[in-house]
Amino acid sequence: MRPSPMRFLLSSILFVLAGCASDYKGLKVVTVDQECLSRIKPVALNTAWYDAGIDVVGKHISGLLLIKEMPDKSKRLVFTSEAGVTLFDFGFDATGDFKVYYIIKQLDKKAVVRLLRDDFALLLGIPFESPVWKSWEMGNERYFGVSEKNENHYFITDKDCGSLQRLESASKRTKKLTISMTGNDASKPDSITLQHHTFAMKINLKKLDR
Amino acid sequence: MRSLLIFFISFIWAQTTIAQYAGYKPVADLTAFKKQFATEAVKINSITSNFKQEKTLTALTETITSHGSFNFKRANKVKLEYTRPFAYTMVMNGDKMQVKDDGHENTVNLKSNKLFQQINRIVVDCIQGTILDSKDFSSKVFENQKEFLLEMTPTSKTLKGFFQTVILVVEKKDYSVDSIKMNEPSGDTTIITFTEKKINAPVSDAIFAF
Repeated sequence: MRPSPMRFLLSSILFVLAGCASDYKGLKVVTVDQECLSRIKPVALNTAWYDAGIDVVGKHISGLLLIKEMPDKSKRLVFTSEAGVTLFDFGFDATGDFKVYYIIKQLDKKAVVRLLRDDFALLLGIPFESPVWKSWEMGNERYFGVSEKNENHYFITDKDCGSLQRLESASKRTKKLTISMTGNDASKPDSITLQHHTFAMKINLKKLDR
Repeated sequence: MRSLLIFFISFIWAQTTIAQYAGYKPVADLTAFKKQFATEAVKINSITSNFKQEKTLTALTETITSHGSFNFKRANKVKLEYTRPFAYTMVMNGDKMQVKDDGHENTVNLKSNKLFQQINRIVVDCIQGTILDSKDFSSKVFENQKEFLLEMTPTSKTLKGFFQTVILVVEKKDYSVDSIKMNEPSGDTTIITFTEKKINAPVSDAIFAF
């Protein structure tokens, strides 16, 4: 049986409304638990090489990613092909300022650089250097968040503050990026996944045993 | 005065050459070498070998070492398989190239991709001894008792973006390639050294199939 035009219209409106619903609508403000915040707040990643796979709008790119902590506390991220050619070399200084040290012409597009900059900034916990924190609860999870321009950055723990679950970046209503990590050492995760939610992009990193 | 200047220029040039490639001197008869290189390389119908690759990020004092196997079969079958610390395979067979990493397979038709076509041509030219006639590079040749050293400088803008020079070390005893060093514009280097080489051992076509 074909749905009536009215029924179709109603379901369309419901669908659109559901689409507009904020991903963070269920958050309930709670007092910031300073002990949990200082214990679980993402730590700076130590130097490690990762086997990297980037899936972006149907294309797959692979290579090796070095995350390096420099003696002056700045961070470098170097992506090379498996055969050794450097594709980009980015840096964040100790204050979090971003610099492109090198990028091949084929990748040197403003939108690409900005996207990777924001992804890596969250991975390195740079937005979490902020002194101003808010906290919420939703379901069985606690959210700790900071605001930066039009974006919010969260790290999420279980309700008992036992462990870090994931990191998220979002606009006011929409989740844009989730970062999940596995492994026992938070400063050198065994694997890292960066999943975008507003378009088809996923970065998978697996730590290399050298 | 003029002859003094020429003397100094020659002296500085000689010092630079010596400093660059210690123990090597320029090949006296380049034409004879080219002819001999091409004649001897034609006798190579297959190569099976292992390799060690060392990529050095000079400014970051970081080196990543990887290992794998290399296979070549005349006329245009090449397989490079990295086995540790990551898995990655690149096969060139005729006018097709396939890349495999972590369950992803990507096949490229070399006829429709100029850059890959160029890479394929360079790899095959290096093995077949025809690289000195290549329009992709201008070359200088040096030698010591056991080896020839080919310093290849890219001529095209695309290749110049990736490499400052490519240094090929060729064994005098069988004219097979001993190592390839890629010097990048950033100062980073990649050295691939071939070990346990077997020249003209039987190599099945099946290993290049995809």
